[in-house]
Amino acid sequence: MTAALESRNLAVRYGHFSAVGGVDLAIAPGARHALIGPNGAGKTTLVHALTGNVAATAGSVHLDGEDITHLAQPARVRKGLARTFQINQLFRSQTVLENVLLAVFERQRATRAFWRSATGDRRAIAEAREHIALVNLASLADQPVHRLAYGQQRMVEIAIALATRPRVLILDEPAAGVPTTESAVIFERLEALPREMTLIFVEHDMNLVFRFAERITVLVAGKVLTEGTPAEISADERVREVYLGRRGHHAA
Amino acid sequence: MINTASVLLDGVSYGMLLFLFSIGLSITLGLMRFVNLAHGAFAMIGGYVTVSLVNLLGVPFLLTLPAAFAVSGVVGFVLERVVIHRVYREPELQQVLFSIGLAFAASALATIVFGPQQQPIALPSWLAQRISLLGVPVGASRVFLIGVAAVAAVLLVLLFNRTLFGARIRAAVDNRRAAEGIGVRVGRLFAVTFALGAAMAGLGGALAVDSLGLDPTMPFKYLIPVLMVVVIGGPGSIPGSLVASLVLGVVDTMFKYAVPDVGPFVVYALLVGMLLAFPRGLAAIRA
Ligand SMILES: Nc1ncnc2c1ncn2[C@@H]1O[C@H](COP(=O)(O)OP(=O)(O)OP(=O)(O)O)[C@@H](O)[C@H]1O
Ligand SMILES: [Mg+2]
Repeated sequence: MTAALESRNLAVRYGHFSAVGGVDLAIAPGARHALIGPNGAGKTTLVHALTGNVAATAGSVHLDGEDITHLAQPARVRKGLARTFQINQLFRSQTVLENVLLAVFERQRATRAFWRSATGDRRAIAEAREHIALVNLASLADQPVHRLAYGQQRMVEIAIALATRPRVLILDEPAAGVPTTESAVIFERLEALPREMTLIFVEHDMNLVFRFAERITVLVAGKVLTEGTPAEISADERVREVYLGRRGHHAA
Repeated sequence: MINTASVLLDGVSYGMLLFLFSIGLSITLGLMRFVNLAHGAFAMIGGYVTVSLVNLLGVPFLLTLPAAFAVSGVVGFVLERVVIHRVYREPELQQVLFSIGLAFAASALATIVFGPQQQPIALPSWLAQRISLLGVPVGASRVFLIGVAAVAAVLLVLLFNRTLFGARIRAAVDNRRAAEGIGVRVGRLFAVTFALGAAMAGLGGALAVDSLGLDPTMPFKYLIPVLMVVVIGGPGSIPGSLVASLVLGVVDTMFKYAVPDVGPFVVYALLVGMLLAFPRGLAAIRA
């Protein structure tokens, strides 16, 4: 079966520093795949390279088997690869609805008729409201996003990403900066998304990872340390070492 | 009384020209943080398009206006895509040096092609006549100019505040990364916006030939008042630029007429006063 998203020997260098050093990933369609690793492991950089935010220094990226290595991010979005960021990326001065609506318009390529009214399309508005309802923010749709609590803003980000109708959605720490009690809510919303949508998420909280991921890739120093099911990963000595400290510490 | 009214009208028409000259600069400064001191070159291009079409090919003046708009816009688009977009990330000093260089090059090119002299233009008789406006005899060309510029200003405001194009621009300015994240090709969007600003200047340049004249110094001649409009109006603000242009145009014209000796300096005093009172421009007052 063709992987929904695949990378082959993907590498990103910043000057002489190798942030991602030859990563092979193959994410199955409909996967719930976690990307974990210590701080500075290169998770965000890997996501950037997959989504086209930074150019890969070497290797290739394939979406449903199609080589997208040389496409810029907007083009990858149009092909069905969307993402959220580690920190909140919103149009702060606009309302929740406007934020999501713009993504709907971009996807429909409605913006070709650039003179069209930004708020006059009932069908697009109805769709945007559906995405907003999916992240439980229906009652806040007409609020400017800067008035929302941080956790709610992160949900808006997810609604925006959903409005691009992604086949593959990559979430870089969707619950970062959100109180632990609320972060599970965000993941429950993600779990409720259509099964055929492929989800890849970066997350530090191991409870959340083991609860929501079906497969896990462990990244250390820009390289894949191992990949497996949550049970395999939690039983893996090397993973434990990475998270518990150096060998000496472990042996003691 | 009659004199005051016609001076006022001159001031408003000069202000409207300043608005057309400056709005593109204001937008590119506000949106792309690009200090484009070569912006006046687009006004010059518009002027030469109109003069060439009217004088050499006998095209009716009215038809040359869309041509001036389009040619300046296309030149702006190509220039942005080929060179200018590379400068956005440079420090401001680089941008200033680069764009001043561009302005000198444009000016030199115009001297080679058209010569250093003023370009005459023969307006059609319906524009060259004097008409009576509320009993005051005024130049028809002034009224026409004000009308065209006002329509352009209204369309521009509608475009930015009401349409999808405007929504995308505002989104991209708010958060470029998020805009790219939903599929907006921000680079191209900025090029189109830049071209639109250039086209507005081109239209202004075409309309200005009759009242302000046209020669290869055009990119520099109105640089100071244009920068004043941008500073006073607040970068990126269309209504702010319009108000600032009109105030500047009227005050400058009035004082030059009333006290020819010190008149030209009054606007500078106005600038200093404005900056002391509202350091961040008119647009910041409402915010
Ligand atoms: N633009 C950049 N230039 C130079 N080095 C960078 C750049 N971005 C990231 N790095 C470095 O690359 C390494 C990987 O960073 P990255 O942000 O991908 O890690 P991460 O796994 O996402 O970490 P975290 O868990 O803290 O989010 C780090 O050492 C970081 O300092
Ligand atoms: Mg990260």
